[in-house]
Amino acid sequence: MRLFIETIGFGIFSGSLISLGAVGFTVQFAISNVLNVAYGAFITLGAYFGYWLVNDAHLNFWLTVPIVAIAIGALSVAFNRLLPRPLLRRGASFVAILIGTVWAGITLQYTIVSIVGPSTFTYALGNGKTIDLWDFVLTNTQLIIIGGTALLMLGYHGLLTRTQLGQAMRATSVNPVVARSCGIRIDRITDVAWLISGMLCGATGVVLAGTVSTFDSTLGTTFLVYMIAAAVLGGIGQPYGAMIGGLVVGLTTQLTAAYLSPAYEDVAAFVILVVMLLAWPRGLFGSAAAAGRRLVG
Amino acid sequence: MSADNGHVLRIEQLVAGYGDTPVIRGVDVEVPAGKLVVVVGPNGAGKSTLLKAILGLVNITGGEVMLDGRPITRSPLEDLARNGVGYVPQGDAVFDSMRVRENLEMGGYLLDKALRAERLEQALELFPDLRHKLKRYVGTMSGGERRMTAVARAMMLAPRVLLLDEPTAGLSAALTKMVLTEQARMLADRGTAVLLVEQKAHAALEQADWAYVLVQGEVAMSAPGREVLEDPDMGEVFLGGGSGLLADAEPAG
Repeated sequence: MRLFIETIGFGIFSGSLISLGAVGFTVQFAISNVLNVAYGAFITLGAYFGYWLVNDAHLNFWLTVPIVAIAIGALSVAFNRLLPRPLLRRGASFVAILIGTVWAGITLQYTIVSIVGPSTFTYALGNGKTIDLWDFVLTNTQLIIIGGTALLMLGYHGLLTRTQLGQAMRATSVNPVVARSCGIRIDRITDVAWLISGMLCGATGVVLAGTVSTFDSTLGTTFLVYMIAAAVLGGIGQPYGAMIGGLVVGLTTQLTAAYLSPAYEDVAAFVILVVMLLAWPRGLFGSAAAAGRRLVG
Repeated sequence: MSADNGHVLRIEQLVAGYGDTPVIRGVDVEVPAGKLVVVVGPNGAGKSTLLKAILGLVNITGGEVMLDGRPITRSPLEDLARNGVGYVPQGDAVFDSMRVRENLEMGGYLLDKALRAERLEQALELFPDLRHKLKRYVGTMSGGERRMTAVARAMMLAPRVLLLDEPTAGLSAALTKMVLTEQARMLADRGTAVLLVEQKAHAALEQADWAYVLVQGEVAMSAPGREVLEDPDMGEVFLGGGSGLLADAEPAG
């Protein structure tokens, strides 16, 4: 029983990290209809930038999170303006843009390798104090990350539902032509979306690298499988779906690691992805409104 | 009334299409304030392309689009919204996963809070059926209600001219009549210049103040709706295009 509860605790922690990244990943898709595979390489970039700030510039770990988030957010906006947006303007197909992001991701990842080399790195933060609550054994760092992620997700929910900017983001995601006919400048909305998405990406990179024992240049690409599984599980483009999807993927992979073998952790994420794509490609939260319309109209 | 002979929207010798192939070939259209002007024609005549050309959504290779005497040719859609052009695209012209209220609020995105609330109230006066459905998700509503929400959304900016692209597509005969009389006709009677593109020619011509018959990208006839309806040649035009003028006149249940 103790193993089970411990695993659930760690699954929630791991799930909150996946959610954080998956929401960012799914936002880009929702607003721009771009499946940005380079997102994984941007996570890696965030991880290394954070490493440099913590280990070489001796900044406090928690201070590096917003700094890296802002930096990767700005890079993400620039990236969208340089590659996906011009391709979309020229009428490039979904697959052509996807291939463009694969190219960008590989280029970025190998550029990072050429700079930092192939060895592994560690933030060497130490675990800090451990808290044992009804057998939920988590470190301070992990608890802060779970809490911080929950707050960020609540904030994002507030943005989407309570602000005009958030409404305009949802409107642009549902129907860009109608959004434009309302006078919404959707280029600005996509900039905001890629900024938010890049910030979540950068934050994920730092906290992920800061909480694994060691990492190398494949960190983000490996993690991408988990995030895509979470996004697809929740219905790609659905922020709440990605939040829940992240938790489900986190719990499933940790339970698999604990009860089968840690070697199967990645496999579990793949299985979720494949099963969802085959059986339920719309995902759990995929366009419930559209489904409702089919029933009514 | 504007300096442009009372025409809110005027299209002169417009040539437009996809890539270098023109679909619209030298079309003139005038839409005065308070009038319902319809564009009918067989399938593939270029009706929707004409609307998209006005909105800068397709490639324009010649001619001008004038709003209140000022050229708006190739203006981006979001700028047209600011200048008084309302647009309801064909099909799903709503934000499905949003509530009716949110759809209307998005329609008033450019307005300040007070004016938005005022326009929302006006929109509900125009379409009282929506008043008790403000919290409904549009995706769960019927076809007729969705069209109503789309038009109400477009009216939030109180446009000088409203462009409707086949608002009755997929609707029953009864709902078609309702959309044309209680939406298009009613808005024109209240002073908006309405340009309606319609596949259901008979029903649309019955309501039209003026009609343009578009055939292969050119205006084949321009006359009051009734005259087009009674013109013996026009049946031929539509039958030739595979869609009889009277085809939608039969009660479809």
